[in-house]
Amino acid sequence: MTRGKENPTEFTFSCPLPSGLHARPASHFAETANRFDCECTLTNSRNGLTANCKSVLGIIAADVREGDHCSVRMSGPDAPVATDALQRFVQDVLPGCDVPMPLVDISMQSKTAPRGLRQARVACVFGTSLSRGIGQGKIVSLSRIALPRDVDAQSPLALAVELEKIKDALEAVRQRIREKLKYCLTPTGSAVLQAELAMAGDVLLREKLEDGVRQGRSAPRAVIQAAEFFIDLLGHSENEYVRQRGADIEEICLQLIQELCGGLPESAIALQEASVLVAETIGPQQLLGIDRRWLKALILEESATTSHAAILARSLGIPTLVGVRNARQLLTRGSEVLVDANRGFVIPQLSPPVRRFYEHEQETFERRRKAAADRSLSSAASRTRIIDVGANASSGEEVNSAFENEADGIGLFRTEMIFLGRQEPPSEEEQFAIYAQAVRSARGKPVIIRTFDIGGDKKAPYLNLAEEDNPFLGYRGIRIYDRHHDLLQSQLRAILRASAEGPVQIMAPMVAFVEEFREFKAAVMRAAQHLSGKHIRFKSDIKVGIMIEVPSVAFALDKLCQEVDFFSIGTNDLSQYFFAADRTNSAVSSSFSVRHPAFLRFLRQIVDQIHEAERWVGMCGEMAADPRNLPLLVGLGLDEVSVPAAEVRELKARIRELSLERSSFVLRRALACNESREVEELLTTHLVSQVAPLLSEDLVLLESTSRTKEEVIQEMVDAFYVHDRTADRDAMEEALWAREAEYSTGLGHAFAIPHCKTDAVTANSICILRLQEPIEWDSVHGERVRMVVLLAMRSSDGANNHMQVFSSLARRLDDEDFREQLLKFETPRQITTYLDEQLRLSSPLISVNTDSSSQGD
Amino acid sequence: MKLVAVTACPTGIAHTYMAAARLEKVAKNFGHEIKVETQGAMGIENKLTETDIRQAQIAIFAVDIEVEGRERFNGVKVIQVPLQEALKNPEGIFSKIQR
Repeated sequence: MTRGKENPTEFTFSCPLPSGLHARPASHFAETANRFDCECTLTNSRNGLTANCKSVLGIIAADVREGDHCSVRMSGPDAPVATDALQRFVQDVLPGCDVPMPLVDISMQSKTAPRGLRQARVACVFGTSLSRGIGQGKIVSLSRIALPRDVDAQSPLALAVELEKIKDALEAVRQRIREKLKYCLTPTGSAVLQAELAMAGDVLLREKLEDGVRQGRSAPRAVIQAAEFFIDLLGHSENEYVRQRGADIEEICLQLIQELCGGLPESAIALQEASVLVAETIGPQQLLGIDRRWLKALILEESATTSHAAILARSLGIPTLVGVRNARQLLTRGSEVLVDANRGFVIPQLSPPVRRFYEHEQETFERRRKAAADRSLSSAASRTRIIDVGANASSGEEVNSAFENEADGIGLFRTEMIFLGRQEPPSEEEQFAIYAQAVRSARGKPVIIRTFDIGGDKKAPYLNLAEEDNPFLGYRGIRIYDRHHDLLQSQLRAILRASAEGPVQIMAPMVAFVEEFREFKAAVMRAAQHLSGKHIRFKSDIKVGIMIEVPSVAFALDKLCQEVDFFSIGTNDLSQYFFAADRTNSAVSSSFSVRHPAFLRFLRQIVDQIHEAERWVGMCGEMAADPRNLPLLVGLGLDEVSVPAAEVRELKARIRELSLERSSFVLRRALACNESREVEELLTTHLVSQVAPLLSEDLVLLESTSRTKEEVIQEMVDAFYVHDRTADRDAMEEALWAREAEYSTGLGHAFAIPHCKTDAVTANSICILRLQEPIEWDSVHGERVRMVVLLAMRSSDGANNHMQVFSSLARRLDDEDFREQLLKFETPRQITTYLDEQLRLSSPLISVNTDSSSQGD
Repeated sequence: MKLVAVTACPTGIAHTYMAAARLEKVAKNFGHEIKVETQGAMGIENKLTETDIRQAQIAIFAVDIEVEGRERFNGVKVIQVPLQEALKNPEGIFSKIQR
């Protein structure tokens, strides 16, 4: 440490990333550190490990996990600037620089084959499905290209020559990765390659290689030694992810060896027909080198779900099984196999029943796809958008991710982060850069930027805010602007300038009464005049709005609506000020919920008043992000909900299932409740009846040609699957057969009533099938059946109105006239209409009628 | 004759209610007065009161699972059959009663 004593500065942070500081965030970290000359060391206080922040490998090896406290120490002439930059990186960029990998959902992966295959005694080899899909092809076995431990090398040449070789080889490897990057189209693939590129350029790796050469080794031997060192270093980590990075280093070293010695087998293998690749493990570059037209599935013996190859395979959509032990022994090269990565197994021998099963499966997939397309067409045609879904963001990156998730706008761009955790306030230029980037990323969609909300629990040293006994009721939000004119002015100028790049709106936090807003509006005008005076471009008619967080606002809306352009309800603060209950205090938080009828009434009063004045009102806050609340929010008539970017897509999908009428009905009922618990129950029942109507023409199958009970049950289960009423056909089928095993569900009179109670179905449903020719249902009594009425009920929904429909249907089946009628009808519509008339209950929550008829229109 | 009955099956979605309907109908044909309690997925419905049970000469249990609140029937003559029986051959149950 030659410069170690100069300007040492230090800051600490705790790691916000669920997967820790692994390759991708570490490479961002190192990239930032590498912009400065000073030395920069990270210490992980949990394990005492230290790392050079300029080395990705070093950072990875420090094994920083979520919540670990780390200190970062800089020393050197530019330490203060570096500290500032890294601190900002840690606060603003780091939390968003690792889009979490979608978790592998193994809940659907059973360790038994579906009933159809079991009955045909088909042998299956099980694994864990990492990337769904079905692939069929001939087995190609890939042996691992291991790093040669002993390189047949010449004795080392002059030091300078060997050093030059190392330098050239590193550059060549980096160049090759860059080439691949150009052709890599998936974001995940690019991220993986970026991480490899960073590793190949890592300072620690280079130092290690050069040290090896200086100690008298030839370049290839130095590579082997460095590889062993890093694999050993990373391999001892308790974290699987870190251990996996050992494999990445090995692959880079392998390429270095190839570069230095030539002669190693080329990692790409040529496929000429539909193939299923089997390997112990595979390097990402090896995988990228394979012709994917012929690669139908991938089977790995290793069980790691975080290897780069595994991540890549998922992003490329290659059906992939991992953890298939002894796959290379069990599966013969050249034999044709089928990989069912939906269920998690390989079928090594394709017998006729297997082919039939999967042909049928293929047809069912097709029907399901078509049904989904029809549904989305009809819902798009018949429904106008009932509520917008915006995203909350605090950085340009989050804005990007919001629009990748199809957000309709940025409903809340928080700016506090730019002001906190630093000694000096941010300059106008610095802010402008951030806002302008956010606005550009939004590409014409609106961005609502909220001016800084500091105070309360958020403090900045340069503001000199006093300690308060009760900070949440103290000097915070808009209240501090009167003593920080300059700061507000520079922010407003930065926002106004960004408005030249796209639609921007300005929003003030914590407004309690009209005068505060007037002063704020005046400040905006001053900033605008300042810019006009300097001939700087901005949008002159920018909209200025306020947050509704303080209950007093609700009683000044008539006045406010005359001056305020728009409103956004911040439910977190509003509810705790409304109830005088701290929502982080578990002793009170559950009773004083945002679902309490009193709060809902309060919200309705606010929304109605604002809409009466023809102003826009959105909601940001946790209430908006919980999909269970959607019917309430749609019922309130809010113009927008603004939620974390990652939730946008899910919420939009839920909204497509809602109607305005139904939501208003649910809200009316909720407003009439006495306590939160009743509202929650209401929302649960609503969900049950909302997902899909109990009865639908899609589930009436007339003139079936099935010949056995097995075929009938499969046909009915398929109908559930095709029309999206079960996500797990196999489990639904098992549940029905488990019931049949108790005693046959034949009723006599040619009727049967199979039924199941399982969460494998996503909606309580009645499915009806009529056979052209009667079939034998119950081999013991030789009973023949023509009409099958299947009742499927979710087990976790508890007692509800649907159950009453089921029980009255069951009772009615005892009635001969009723049975006669069902046998006679000619169209599904006649049957659903008849059942609806016969079984309809008074409760409007069922509304079998409206739902089933609107489906057909 | 005054009768009471309980129907119950493991899933409690279909057969509990069909059996109840069947018992009510066939009892009427035999000229009996019957009240049937169902113990299904909706819990206990059409619950038999103390008076119902005290006034009944016979209680029919058409059940495949334990009857909830069995102690209510202490002191009453109980005929227990598998639920299937009430669906397949309800007449048989009532003929047995008359004998």
